[in-house]
Amino acid sequence: MEIKTTTQGGATIIKISGSLDGNTVNDAQEKILPILTSKMSMLIDLKDCSYISSAGLRLLLMAAKQLSTQGGILLLSGLCDEIKDVMEMTGFSNFFRTFDSIPAALKALEKEA
Amino acid sequence: MFRVDLHPTHVCDCGKFRLRVGKPLPFGATIVPGGVNFSVYSHSAVSCKLVLFNKHEIKPFCVIPFKDEFKIGNVFTMVVFDLDYDNLEYGFYMDGPFEPREGNRFDKTKVLMDPYAKSIGGRDVWGQAPDWNDMYQHRARICFDDFDWENDHPLETPIEDLIIYEMHVRGFSQHPSSGVKHPGTFSGIREKIAYLKELGVNCVELMPIHEFDEFENSRVSPTTGKMLMNYWGYSNVGFFAPKAGFAATGKFGMQVDECKTLIRELHKNGIEVILDVVFNHTAEGNEKGPYISYRGIDNKIYYLLTPDGYYFNFSGCGNTLNCNNPIVRNMILDCLRYWAADYHIDGFRFDLASILGRDQNGAPMHSPPLLETLAFDPVLGKCKLIAEAWDAGGLYQVGSFPAWGRWAEWNGKYRDDLRKFLKGEPAMLGAMAQRLQGSPDLYQWEGRGACASINFITAHDGFTLKDMVSYDGKHNEANGENNSDGSNDNYSWNCGWEGETSDPEINRLRLKQMKNAAAMLLVSQGTPMILSGDEMANTQWGNNNSYCQDNEISWIDWKLLNNNRELFNFFSKMIAFRRAHPVLRSRNHFQNRDYVGSGYADITWHGQKAWDADWSEENRMLAFMLCGRHAKGGTIKDNSIYVAMNMHWQMHGFELPKLHDRMSWHVFANTDAARPYDIWDVGKEISLQNQTEFLVGPRSVVILVGKDKK
Repeated sequence: MEIKTTTQGGATIIKISGSLDGNTVNDAQEKILPILTSKMSMLIDLKDCSYISSAGLRLLLMAAKQLSTQGGILLLSGLCDEIKDVMEMTGFSNFFRTFDSIPAALKALEKEA
Repeated sequence: MFRVDLHPTHVCDCGKFRLRVGKPLPFGATIVPGGVNFSVYSHSAVSCKLVLFNKHEIKPFCVIPFKDEFKIGNVFTMVVFDLDYDNLEYGFYMDGPFEPREGNRFDKTKVLMDPYAKSIGGRDVWGQAPDWNDMYQHRARICFDDFDWENDHPLETPIEDLIIYEMHVRGFSQHPSSGVKHPGTFSGIREKIAYLKELGVNCVELMPIHEFDEFENSRVSPTTGKMLMNYWGYSNVGFFAPKAGFAATGKFGMQVDECKTLIRELHKNGIEVILDVVFNHTAEGNEKGPYISYRGIDNKIYYLLTPDGYYFNFSGCGNTLNCNNPIVRNMILDCLRYWAADYHIDGFRFDLASILGRDQNGAPMHSPPLLETLAFDPVLGKCKLIAEAWDAGGLYQVGSFPAWGRWAEWNGKYRDDLRKFLKGEPAMLGAMAQRLQGSPDLYQWEGRGACASINFITAHDGFTLKDMVSYDGKHNEANGENNSDGSNDNYSWNCGWEGETSDPEINRLRLKQMKNAAAMLLVSQGTPMILSGDEMANTQWGNNNSYCQDNEISWIDWKLLNNNRELFNFFSKMIAFRRAHPVLRSRNHFQNRDYVGSGYADITWHGQKAWDADWSEENRMLAFMLCGRHAKGGTIKDNSIYVAMNMHWQMHGFELPKLHDRMSWHVFANTDAARPYDIWDVGKEISLQNQTEFLVGPRSVVILVGKDKK
């Protein structure tokens, strides 16, 4: 798994590639949670993420909850159909707004700003 | 917060994992800071080893003995640090005596599943053949217990207001005609919530969803050539884990989340969830069965054994769980509390519950401690407790199940009497009067009330409603047991032809009989239960014991909904009628007197003559009136309701009881009429021209509502 962080249009964009599972989730957690700040707009792009395990989904949810209590927001983009489906069936999708691509997510953020 | 007791004190022999003594409670595997706390008890084991696997791998990557100092009482417990618990499967080796006559059957070569496993792998996708060379077939996994319930709470619907819908998770949506994205799963049910709401039920009772092995006793049917499986699942592998194969996400190990999501969404839509739980036996069978868990951990604690160490078989399934042993009792209590608290389950239906009242020698007890404990348990305080009040050892306790005012029962007498009356047997009116009132003959004692009676005409066990009016006898040849399995006491009637027919007269009569059954069920006091699919005339082609049929015999064919819209319409309107009229849903039994000053008793009996029911043996006609002023013990005003049942094969006139002058009778339902004149929307009942007599057709039910004259 690899994580790349950039900023664009006032949003922090985190691209996760590879597999976000029990082996890699601690690493991801150490990279993501410390950078959460209040009122932050964070976009996690999963276009190159091939698999998210139960622990991986929990990390995303934890980040989303932390941000929402601090007046921030977490968006997801680039989910493949299977991950989308798993999130839908296991109730995780209730907590996220998802977009097809990074530009689509940024556009939505811009509109709301 | 920093804790000083979370530091490793030991290292395992391979040097890979750090350890320390664990906490004995809670039992099972619990995620703690930095590691996992493992805790398992055995009265008779002399040593225990923790066996760790990566998911799906046959060989363990580490075996860690519980050191002597890690044993507290009879509990082996330790914390293992640094585990990747997302990818972990674990089991135990237990060593101890193999002395069958003494009840011990330890085998230190077997990997044993944790009895408290919250998630179980090995059968991740339904019907996918396992690797039979794997020595560890049912593999305990670590479970995240941090589901976000979004303010969900068990609904706590009063039991008298429930309309229960019994279903099999797989059978409900597995048929290709269901049109769901994920057939046969928890998610499949979720996709059908809109349908459940259209039908109007407010509770689903799920047939067993605890992990079981669909391959148990799998074989090929000698008559159909189809694979026979343990489809129903009345044979637990584990009590704390949902069946992975019922989850579309089971292949990702996310069945817990999928199951909880379904429950949360059902609750959002006002639908309760009752689980059918099987505590009477396990999937380990008798002495010839496999070692899964309990047999190898503490055989003589978990099972009722004969004096020479064989298994008592009160369940008909090879073994009997030793429910009133204090250890097992606690496990059952822990299990139910877990499902109530962690899964927000609204109630439980206990399969062959009479076994839960047997002592350690198998004898029925007067005040079984387990049943009493469950009745008074604080965590289960709002859960419905429903007993199947008999067992396969001959104990039949319908009406006498130890209840402490808490337990309801599947009322088998209701089913049998309704069926006999429906098919026109004589001498049924006395019994019917009891059944329609919530069986006070069975439940008026010890404050049990009308809702101690779960009323049903059909259930998974036995004919579907359509088959009950289409077959005189069972047709279980496809089960491969020479048609000797399944009940012979069906009290069914084929209406003139055995099985499917194109004869319009027979089909018309069958439809009417199904409507009659629905009408009587839904105007009876007590809590009604409907078998899923009955509302669309689902058939099993006469198979009354489809436990092994994972195919079209058991799956609901949703195409039938289009062909049987008239029946669906009747069911849904009857359900709406029941939900609209509290007078049909008394918690307590009637008093047969006027205690509100309305001029009418709470219930009165009628027949061809008003106020004068004919109770003679050859008579097959009965009518009753419920006084609306007595609804819910006189606390709510409702309409008065009159129900005429003519189970004779000829039309008869029923003289109507006279209402107060400002009121008149309106027709809500008449099963003798075809759609759209068979049933009306609630509140849109049709004013009756003749207020003194109603001609009730042959084998028909009429329901009238007393309303203000326009």
